[in-house]
Amino acid sequence: MLFKILYKDDFRTLIETAMKSVEVVAPKKVGSNARGKPIHHYLPVTSFEEIDLSYETTEYSAKTYFIPYLENLANYRFGDEDWEKEIQYRFEPRMILGLHACDISGLLRLDKVLIHDKFPSPYYIARRKNTLIVGIDHEPCEGGFCHALGTNVVSHGFDLFLTDLGDRYFTAIDSDRGYILLNKVLTHDVKEKDTKDYLDARRRISDAYTTHVNVHNLPNLLDIEFESDVWKKWGAKCLSCGSCAQVCPTCYCYGVSERVSMDWASGAKVKQLYSCNLVDFAQVAGGHNFRPEATTRLKYRYYHQHRGFVEIYDEPKCVGCNRCGRTCLAGINPPDIIGELQAEVRK
Amino acid sequence: MSIEFQPYDIIKDTDMTQPIDFNQRNKLKSVDRAFKAEITNIIRLTDMEKLFQIRIVDDAERQRFTFLPGQFVMLQVPGYGEVPISISSSPSAKGHIELCIRKAGVVTNVLHNARRGAKVGIRGPFGTHFPMVQMHGSDVLLIAGGLGLAPLRAPMFYVIENRVSFKDVHILYGTRQPDQLLFRYQYEEWSLIDDINLQIIVERPDATWAGRVGLITKLLDNITIHPEKTYAIVCGPPVMFKFVCGRLNQMGLPMHRMFVSLERRMHCGMGKCCRCNIGSTYTCIDGPVFDYWSVMNLKEAI
Amino acid sequence: MKYLGIAPARPKIGVFDFTGCEGCELQLANKEETLGPFLDAIDIVNFREVTTAQGDDYDIALIDGCISRGDEIERLKKIRQNAKVLVAVGSCASFGGVNRMKNVLDLAEANTEVYGKEFKETLYTRSIKEAVKVDLEIPGCPVSKAEVERIVQHLVWNVAFQFPNYPVCLECKQRFSTCRMEMGELCLGSITRGGCNAPCPAGGLGCWGCRGPAPAPNYKEFLALAERKGMDMQLLAERLNFFGGFEGVLK
Repeated sequence: MLFKILYKDDFRTLIETAMKSVEVVAPKKVGSNARGKPIHHYLPVTSFEEIDLSYETTEYSAKTYFIPYLENLANYRFGDEDWEKEIQYRFEPRMILGLHACDISGLLRLDKVLIHDKFPSPYYIARRKNTLIVGIDHEPCEGGFCHALGTNVVSHGFDLFLTDLGDRYFTAIDSDRGYILLNKVLTHDVKEKDTKDYLDARRRISDAYTTHVNVHNLPNLLDIEFESDVWKKWGAKCLSCGSCAQVCPTCYCYGVSERVSMDWASGAKVKQLYSCNLVDFAQVAGGHNFRPEATTRLKYRYYHQHRGFVEIYDEPKCVGCNRCGRTCLAGINPPDIIGELQAEVRK
Repeated sequence: MSIEFQPYDIIKDTDMTQPIDFNQRNKLKSVDRAFKAEITNIIRLTDMEKLFQIRIVDDAERQRFTFLPGQFVMLQVPGYGEVPISISSSPSAKGHIELCIRKAGVVTNVLHNARRGAKVGIRGPFGTHFPMVQMHGSDVLLIAGGLGLAPLRAPMFYVIENRVSFKDVHILYGTRQPDQLLFRYQYEEWSLIDDINLQIIVERPDATWAGRVGLITKLLDNITIHPEKTYAIVCGPPVMFKFVCGRLNQMGLPMHRMFVSLERRMHCGMGKCCRCNIGSTYTCIDGPVFDYWSVMNLKEAI
Repeated sequence: MKYLGIAPARPKIGVFDFTGCEGCELQLANKEETLGPFLDAIDIVNFREVTTAQGDDYDIALIDGCISRGDEIERLKKIRQNAKVLVAVGSCASFGGVNRMKNVLDLAEANTEVYGKEFKETLYTRSIKEAVKVDLEIPGCPVSKAEVERIVQHLVWNVAFQFPNYPVCLECKQRFSTCRMEMGELCLGSITRGGCNAPCPAGGLGCWGCRGPAPAPNYKEFLALAERKGMDMQLLAERLNFFGGFEGVLK
């Protein structure tokens, strides 16, 4: 990895210049919640003042810039007893600024499924390759347990990654285009003092986590605790609303439906992100539902996150951002569920 | 100072410009392109099922289309949707494929009303297949219940066309009622083939039925199995697997020598939408064909 | 247009109004960009807001509004006899709607309160299904024209139609709204059927439940969490009763 020192004034110049030629998406404060905590979203910005890099977390993950909630997979034109199918992929470049390590880890998870596995997704690849990612280090967020899953630090999956050292950023460069971008402004070689400050900053962050989740042996534990009362307890609370999967940076499941215009001139094949917690997720033609109970569906969700995904990709799907835990009205959250499953074993 | 970003145009990617072949699972990127196909013929099998003979329109695409027995395609009717359908024809017929379709939902209903000449889309083939080559030199039990004869027909064609490569061949087929029997016009042909034991049974006979009566497992009564040189392919409703495979197991056939085909709701066929997941197993990628040992180890599989 | 060799049906449709604001009928006559093709696909034989025709020969009857007078019941029964398919359109037709609020009051008192000296004979409010057999309900206040179009397509061409099997939350999230409950406001989104595309939370208003219950609503947890979050339980009760879709949820 190549590292450079970038002073904040130069960083600002860099971003303001980028804004002139490419859409820049960055964390932006959109309001405050009932407890007075600020709420941030990743949104397109047109001035540097709109950007708030000191944000704690965002309500929504950045995944929707890569797998939108709604996407036309194909358009149809009908006529003369026949049809033509047209497919378009995203082409316009975009920069996403200020992603935290967990969200970049999330993209690396999605890369495994949507780029490196069977049947790579052209829709995703087109968006991913046209997106420049500038990540940033941050103080631990409330409820986040990324450190337990090793997703609090990233060494790839981005173009540039910044660590705040007060007046300057310690900048990791992971791509040729990141390097070219950085060279547009003045940068400095890393000195001994910079390295020391960087390591101090990392250590301070690492020591600041307050949420502790024990993920030891979790895949096997989930199998052993398949019939655990923990699922009944939390399943009874589940509203089957699918909010958890919508804010999750790595949930990618979907449903497909067809649309036609009233005059049958045109139509579309539309993809909508879905959730395994929704009532009819595992319902088959003919009406049989393989998971009719909220409890079974919630359990399935945790299975896919922490066991099924591990079997295929050697790491959990979950990156520990706890957005699902924050968004759940019923208060269902991974630290509590995993904690209770671990406690169950020790009983 | 200005910043230029060179956009990446995926349609110029070499993997995107290759002729589309769904057997190239690891690099195929034109995943949502479909082969346009024409319904050339429609055969009424029962009140509920029709056999659709379909031909991929483009000559080169039709020649290139190959599949293995047990695989399925996503059949697309623009405006209506897409459904997974097992291929019911001989693998040697390439892009002339036959799909046996039961009227069950929106897409299959409109297909039942469609006329020959209608244009549909085909994506695939997808999924795993019955290991026919591995079965060479063995006895084969081909067992179907109800609509299960549709997916069973592809391995049946394979066995018939390669009769010399197999030892004893049994085709056992059962339905609830006589009027639900599929492909009745082909029974004579199958039974006339040298040394194929075709047996048919129904649960609830009507006045005209002169054949055997009972559950499909009854047909196994007068068959002797040589466990070390026998394979079984079982297609039908999940409830049938428990009885038939359980019985075969009692008769000494190891579970890894029995193959079944599972069905789930699918939206993509490519291991992406997660709708057909059973635990961490994707029915569309790791299945639909599984050996029975794997099925027994899947939670909530049948 | 013929497609797949099939000539589509062109069903005769009648639209009829009962007690309500007629907003749902306005919705049907709305959305100009598709109104032409919409009217081409069907044969409107009776629809006060669109045509002077008043035919009795229709396949599909769309019913707007609820029942609040005796003569309405007689009229509705005749429509039921004429129609092959009867569709209740909007929250009033589906649940009784806002009018249903009077059902907890003394009828005479309510009438006097509303009409004063010009007293009119009315009944306790009924939904359409409480008066005749209903084949399909499209709840919503007002009804969504997109959903009606989809249902007409379903009836004409047999294309897929299914009410979303999820609560409002899903679509609310999918348009990046901030949860109203997170903002400390009451919202019925998590127990209300989706498909409306969550316009109210997006506009800063918690869901009022006009589409009625989501499939398998978890009332127990919803009431518990509303209390935990310090919601005004009196307000919650009023809101659950507002459109009539959640009758009986609070015992």
